[in-house]
Amino acid sequence: MRDQTVEQVIYWRFNVLHRVVHLVVMFAFIGVGLTGFSMAFSSVGLAQTFVWLLGGIDSVRYFHRFCAVILYLCVVTEILWGLYYRFVLRGNLLGPNSICFRIRDLRFFREHMGYLLGQSEGPPRFERFTWWEKLDYWTLFLGMHSMALTGVFLWFPEFFSRFFPGYFVNIAQVLHFDEAILAVLYKFFIHTAVRHLRPEVYPGDWVIFTGKVTKETMMRAHPGEWALLNAHQQGSATRDQ
Amino acid sequence: MKPRLQTSAVAVCALAFWFMAVWMVGFSIAQEQQPSECLDCHRYRNLNSNEGILSSQQFCYNCHKEEPAAHADFRASKVSFQVKPEYFLKSPHRFVACIQCHTTVAQSPHRSLSGVQCSSCHPKINGSPGTHAEHQRVRCEACHTDSPFVRLDAANNEVKLSHTNAKQATISLAEHKVTDVSREEFCVKCHASNNQVGAPTMVLPSKSFVCIACHYSPMRMGSPVFILAMMVALMGIVGTVVFWFRASVQGEATSVHRKFQLGSEVVWSKIFSREIFSILKTVFFDILLQRRILANSVSRWLIHSLIFYSFFARFALSFLTLFLQKFSPEGELTLALVNKDSPFVATFNDLTGVFILAGVIWAMIRRFITKPEYVSTEEQDTLALVIIGLVTLSGFILEGMRLLVGQIPAQVALSAFAGYVVSKLFSLVNLGWQSIYGYVWYTHALLWALFIAYLPFGKLKHIFTTPLSLLLNYKKG
Repeated sequence: MRDQTVEQVIYWRFNVLHRVVHLVVMFAFIGVGLTGFSMAFSSVGLAQTFVWLLGGIDSVRYFHRFCAVILYLCVVTEILWGLYYRFVLRGNLLGPNSICFRIRDLRFFREHMGYLLGQSEGPPRFERFTWWEKLDYWTLFLGMHSMALTGVFLWFPEFFSRFFPGYFVNIAQVLHFDEAILAVLYKFFIHTAVRHLRPEVYPGDWVIFTGKVTKETMMRAHPGEWALLNAHQQGSATRDQ
Repeated sequence: MKPRLQTSAVAVCALAFWFMAVWMVGFSIAQEQQPSECLDCHRYRNLNSNEGILSSQQFCYNCHKEEPAAHADFRASKVSFQVKPEYFLKSPHRFVACIQCHTTVAQSPHRSLSGVQCSSCHPKINGSPGTHAEHQRVRCEACHTDSPFVRLDAANNEVKLSHTNAKQATISLAEHKVTDVSREEFCVKCHASNNQVGAPTMVLPSKSFVCIACHYSPMRMGSPVFILAMMVALMGIVGTVVFWFRASVQGEATSVHRKFQLGSEVVWSKIFSREIFSILKTVFFDILLQRRILANSVSRWLIHSLIFYSFFARFALSFLTLFLQKFSPEGELTLALVNKDSPFVATFNDLTGVFILAGVIWAMIRRFITKPEYVSTEEQDTLALVIIGLVTLSGFILEGMRLLVGQIPAQVALSAFAGYVVSKLFSLVNLGWQSIYGYVWYTHALLWALFIAYLPFGKLKHIFTTPLSLLLNYKKG
């Protein structure tokens, strides 16, 4: 039993903006996926039922584009946050607390693989974001751009075929569909499994919804960041996120 | 004989025999098909192919290419039925078969009963919902065909192309020249002084998004007046929020970033906790049912409810209409809700309007005539009441004028029970209502723009601040 009288030391990992963006992205992504696949696999009975429920193919198209616009607005929000982080909060986009990849992540990856294959005693001392968390983030972030590009091609084919040959629309269709499958497989299976099914956090990792982690989690999962925090300021629970 | 030569000779003979056989069989089939000459023309063409469409067009062009069309019926009236290639072959419909639009002409007798069917391909409210919502009784071709003569068909309350010109002589409508929608003639065909189709003289802009508080309106800013009003309102809102965040948040007095961080953290932790049920209770009882005003005074609650619920219901209906318009633009429900002459919408709008007006008048009486002791009147209270009252009043005047100018049939107009009375009153006076209508429209719009601009500054601010302060001070339980 945990001792309730001792106040737990809390470390903030995600601020409210990031939590909101994650929630919105989550639902918009599910919406885009459901409507998109029910259009792509329109011969399947389940898809037809879903289209009927939403009120016909035009509504499904509208809903798909609505969710897509919301998704892309979240990407824009993240870009604006990056600018805010860099220029207002004076954060270092290439520093240890950033979501951006660093050269050091290659070393973390090698060491982590070595640990998983039994070549070392413990996992590497990960910083604020581990290499797979960064991969999670950047696959979606970059994927949204190629999906948006091919998406607007399919949304306004008359406009774009003024400047590009007609077969570009076909190419956009193939790429949009293939990347949709890739993205849905990655997010629905790999992302959720890696987040929630690891033994340390099973049955669920709530950090993206609560925003906070305990000292134990911090020491276990992000020892590099924890060490850095304690080196700078002894035990301060709230720092700029 | 060499084997290779032998093989070649056999192959040549076989080919010759094959061609002969095919020719003879084909000839005999052609002989048999000779009598079926109806199907030579009246064959069912595949209109999904370019070949089918062009051959279908050619079939019609057999007669409609030249002037005058050789039909006996029309020789007397000297009306041309020539479809002019210089217009049709440049139009967007050049790859569409004639019978795809004129769906009922391919039969005997050869005359169209339904007219051209635009909505078999195009949505009924196409492109610009702001314009089309007002023009639901106008047939597409009345505007989009380049003929200056239109008429109002009183029998089915439809504006359509006229088959006669101003001198009642029959004219041809066969040219197929499509109107350039970017030119002003597009609108002034109907919107001219003393027109017979029930259009106001002035070409009015579409409604703005800010009109959604009471009316269905498209997602656009509309007239510059509304843009100005929105900018003033936004400035006021931003100023208010900046003013709020000048105060300290949970002890933090300087860093705006920390204030937002702490404030948003509190909101987040309240939403995702058990206290959300107490908050929802506050939303339901104190904000939606206005329990505190009722505890204060029943008459005050009645007055406030007459205005508040009417606005709330109108906003809900307009928003639902906008949502449906985006989600299912062709749905029957959408088309009925977009049309302000449809029985439900007309009755609903008049009823809520009457309620608002009654609430405003009652409040005025209390403030200026009966003056109970507990009512303290400030200038900004009066200003808010006057704006709301004038907006509603001008709305009814406008509706009455629209029913009169538009020559809406009585059985349709009666659903707007208050507006119909106003229109009957106006009909007693013979003024140029067609030209006055535009000015009254702008008066109504300007009053609402004033409401929007005034929103964050005066008494009307309470629409946002009172629910907010109720939420911030909710009781746990």
